[in-house]
Amino acid sequence: MMILLTGGSACGKSSYAEEICMKASGPKYYLAAMRPYGEEGQKKVERHRRLRAGKGFETIERYTDYASLKLPEAGKTALLECICNLTANEMFDEEGNQSDPYERVVQGVENLRNQCSLLVVVTNDVGSDGLRYDPGTENYIRILGKINAVLAAGADMVIEMVAGIPILLKGADPL
Amino acid sequence: MVLILGAVGAGKREFARSLGYRDEEMSTDVYSDAPIVTDLEETVRKAPDQAESLLVPLTKKELVLCCEVGSGVIPLQKEDRIFRETTGRICVKLAKEADSVVRLVAGIPMAIKGELPCRRS
Repeated sequence: MMILLTGGSACGKSSYAEEICMKASGPKYYLAAMRPYGEEGQKKVERHRRLRAGKGFETIERYTDYASLKLPEAGKTALLECICNLTANEMFDEEGNQSDPYERVVQGVENLRNQCSLLVVVTNDVGSDGLRYDPGTENYIRILGKINAVLAAGADMVIEMVAGIPILLKGADPL
Repeated sequence: MVLILGAVGAGKREFARSLGYRDEEMSTDVYSDAPIVTDLEETVRKAPDQAESLLVPLTKKELVLCCEVGSGVIPLQKEDRIFRETTGRICVKLAKEADSVVRLVAGIPMAIKGELPCRRS
C-alpha cells in the first residue's frame, strides 16, 4: 500500500503523514531525505523531530540512493519525507553538477514500496508560482512534476493537503 | 468564522460578494470592526513574528480571506521563506478553528471543511 501526500509548504503534510502511520502497528521507519543546511535547516529538522517524538519512529537519514536501501525489517510501515528534497539531492551533487534524477527517485520509491506493508510518501507542489528561474531550477520543477505524476499514478491513495485539511484526489480516505 | 483560501486571483473576494457582503465590510486590518479580513498574507508578510497574536481576533470575524502561498519553489530570501511558512501555519490553525473552510479554484468554491456558507439575508 502506498499513499502519496502532496501540498504546498507548511500545509500540514508531515502531521497528517504521521497520523496515517500511527494507525499502523509495529515498527515504523522515518526516512529523512532532507540535508540540513545551516541553522534554518537544522531548525526544520528539529521541529520535525519534536513532532515525531514518542510516536515510535526509527529515523534513517539518507539523502540519496534509496534504490539500494535495505530496511532493517521488511513488511513494516515507512514514511519518506520528502520527494522534493530527494529529487534535489539526486539532481545536484555537492559540486553543483547536474544529472537527471528521475529514474533514481522512482526506483528508490519502488524499492521501498517492495519492502513495506505501508509506505507514506510526502512530496510538494513547487510548480504553481508561475515565476521564471534559472535553467537548472526550471528543469528541477519540471522533473519533480513528472515524478509526482508517476508516483501518483502508482499510488493507492493520493491526498492534497490544504491548511491541514486532507483533500482526497485518488483512492479512499486512509483515516 | 469561514476561512476562504485560494491562489492570487482565484476569486476569494468575488465569492465573499456573492454571499451578500459589500466591499465596505472588507478590511485588511485585523483589528478593525469590519466583519471581513482580506489579504491576511500581507499582514503576515509585514510582521510574521506577530502572526500568532492575530489568531484570536481572526476567529471572531465572519470571513477571513487568505492567499495560498506555499506552492512554489523554496524562495532564496530567508524573509520570503519565513513569510511562506508563517502564512501556511496560521492557515492550518485558522482552519482548525473555522466553522467552514472554502477553497477557490478558478472562481469555483469548494467546501473543504463544513458547508459552503449561505447567502446572507
